[in-house]
Amino acid sequence: MERQTIARYYRTNRKALATAASGLLYAGGWSIGHVTGLDTVSAVTLILAAAIGGYDIATTAYHEVTNRTLGIKTLVTLAAIGAIVIGEYWEAAAVVFLFSLGSYLEGRTMRKTRNALQELLDMTPDTATVRRDGTQQEVPARDVDEDEVVIVKPGGKIPVDGTVVDGESAVNQAPVTGESAPVHKADGDEVYAGTVNQEGALEIRTTGSGSDTTLERIIRRVEAAQEAQSPTESLIDRFAKYYTPAVIVLAIGAYALTQNAILSLTLLVIGCPGALVIGPPVSIVSAIGNAARSGVLMKGGEHLERAGKIDLVAFDKTGTLTKGETTVADVEGFGVADDEILSLAATAEKKSEHHLADAIVDAARERPTARADGGATVAKAGGLDAGLQTVPDPDDFDVVAGKGVVAHADGNEVVVGNRALLDDRGVDIPERVADYVREREGRGETAVHVVRDGSVVGVIAMHDALRESAPGVVAALQDAGIRTVMLTGDNERTAAAVAGEVGIDEYRAELLPADKQTVIEEYQADGHVVAMIGDGINDAPSLATADVGIAMGAAGTDTAIETADMALMADDLERIPYAVTLSKATRWNVIENVGLAVLTVTVLLAGVLTSYVTLAAGMLVHEASVLAVILNGMRLLRH
Amino acid sequence: MAVRVLRRSVMTETTQFRVMDFDCPTCASTVERALSNVDGVHDVEVHYTTGRVEIAYDDSLVDPGTFARAIENQGYTPQAA
Repeated sequence: MERQTIARYYRTNRKALATAASGLLYAGGWSIGHVTGLDTVSAVTLILAAAIGGYDIATTAYHEVTNRTLGIKTLVTLAAIGAIVIGEYWEAAAVVFLFSLGSYLEGRTMRKTRNALQELLDMTPDTATVRRDGTQQEVPARDVDEDEVVIVKPGGKIPVDGTVVDGESAVNQAPVTGESAPVHKADGDEVYAGTVNQEGALEIRTTGSGSDTTLERIIRRVEAAQEAQSPTESLIDRFAKYYTPAVIVLAIGAYALTQNAILSLTLLVIGCPGALVIGPPVSIVSAIGNAARSGVLMKGGEHLERAGKIDLVAFDKTGTLTKGETTVADVEGFGVADDEILSLAATAEKKSEHHLADAIVDAARERPTARADGGATVAKAGGLDAGLQTVPDPDDFDVVAGKGVVAHADGNEVVVGNRALLDDRGVDIPERVADYVREREGRGETAVHVVRDGSVVGVIAMHDALRESAPGVVAALQDAGIRTVMLTGDNERTAAAVAGEVGIDEYRAELLPADKQTVIEEYQADGHVVAMIGDGINDAPSLATADVGIAMGAAGTDTAIETADMALMADDLERIPYAVTLSKATRWNVIENVGLAVLTVTVLLAGVLTSYVTLAAGMLVHEASVLAVILNGMRLLRH
Repeated sequence: MAVRVLRRSVMTETTQFRVMDFDCPTCASTVERALSNVDGVHDVEVHYTTGRVEIAYDDSLVDPGTFARAIENQGYTPQAA
């Protein structure tokens, strides 16, 4: 084991040592030649420089040849040998030293890019404290079974995914969600492996350990995303298939015409599309790695490149611009007691899964104990939860998508819904009801009518508070030159009020779920590249239709991650401008890298063909361009 | 459904390595070629950008230690992933 470690250490550092030795010998040989004029000593020193620096390159070249892959190391080896054969020792040493320095630096910088994700994996502790056979034991974190209880001390890292069963604490979830502020966790809350327990001791019932944790799943997805080719990458790969043979033909042609071997070898070496092939992947891998550390999962280079062209961002209103916590703001009975309205509506909505229905049922459960004369449908106190009212079941009920429900209870037909539903059913809306509804909608609230046996008996106004961050996020996108649109099923007046509050450019109201898709298609037909932001579950079809679907609060919900092109792990709107500007920066970065690579090769080829550029100078510029695109791409790690 | 062909069952296992010191894209392709020439290997993917090496192989013919040595022979350092 020990010997293996030393052997590995030597192997890793040998490249650096050989490069340094080659550089010193090269400098020495050059000085001896210029200062003393001892040509033989100088030649031997330079050949030594080429041999030491070139050993590794030649070995890889040998592997390239035996495995039938044609790479730059084979070409460099040929060029160096060719230069020595015709007595150009200085050129040989220079080319080998410059190339070996270049690839040493390339290896180092790429290692940094590759490590960006490894740091995330290292966040998970190797061991966990579990309660087994009545005692606390320290076991490898991977061996913790499902449903086993893990104890995490204050300041400790959480080793598994699970549910808090005892204790209360603030947990820093940055490794998973990218949120810097700690999140309060108590009984029943989910926690993720790799996050940090900051305050109190927690007991956690395990739901996943080892490779079956949210963090590991995210990292596997991120790696798959980094490895997926973007359109630019596959374009370049296709181009390289023709380009590389073309350079070889050019080199052979040049030799046939000029009989100048060095010219041909120079063409081969500097014609290598190194920077072109490396540039775009490095940009994309860096951007995806950066995003992952900030809690944004990018599904791949293709999605990222498309996201770089976004010029319109559509937000789903509920749960995206708003908190998605709808509560009843006001109940108004028209000739009927307010309590009874709530109770009627709650019974009708009880079996519905709509968020407005949930709010009505919750409000009915939590209202003060009903009066004795409250009528037949008023709930009686004392259900499963002491202190809460029970809501009776309806006899039957039907959902009218995007409009409301129609139910029967206690021999009455009860309709709860919006204006469209009442119009469909031919229910008259009295003026004073309409006035009340207008007044509530003007405040950005959603009002539903409660109809008993064909006449309106009341209205329930509901409120869903705006996220504090929403106006700032919309403004940031507008500053970046992006048009912002809000899509909602709400009526015109409510939508206008919310849109005004957020400062969004446009809104589209009274949309049925399927209409949202149509609206997105309309914008696309107008030439916009559209991003759609939603929770990824209810609005999965719109997310799929948009050029870039962005799901929010996706940690733990695989469905959302599947549908979306980008997933924000945290339920944090403020990541949106970051994700959009990162995508734009990536797109430009790829363009810069491709531009620089093409420019370099063009100038070098022209220079070589007109004899302005020698082998060594060509190699210097070639290696410099490779490093330049890598360093440029790595800037995205710090966006 | 009706006919079931019996044949020697082939156990396909997969293993992963991480190579942090790839210093050119062709180097990754070369390692990929070298690994795919090892007996018992069904499928190899080597990713230059992430350094991830994934090998699907028949575990009755070859073991991961052979892969590690093959990668080392090409001049790179395999790490457990």
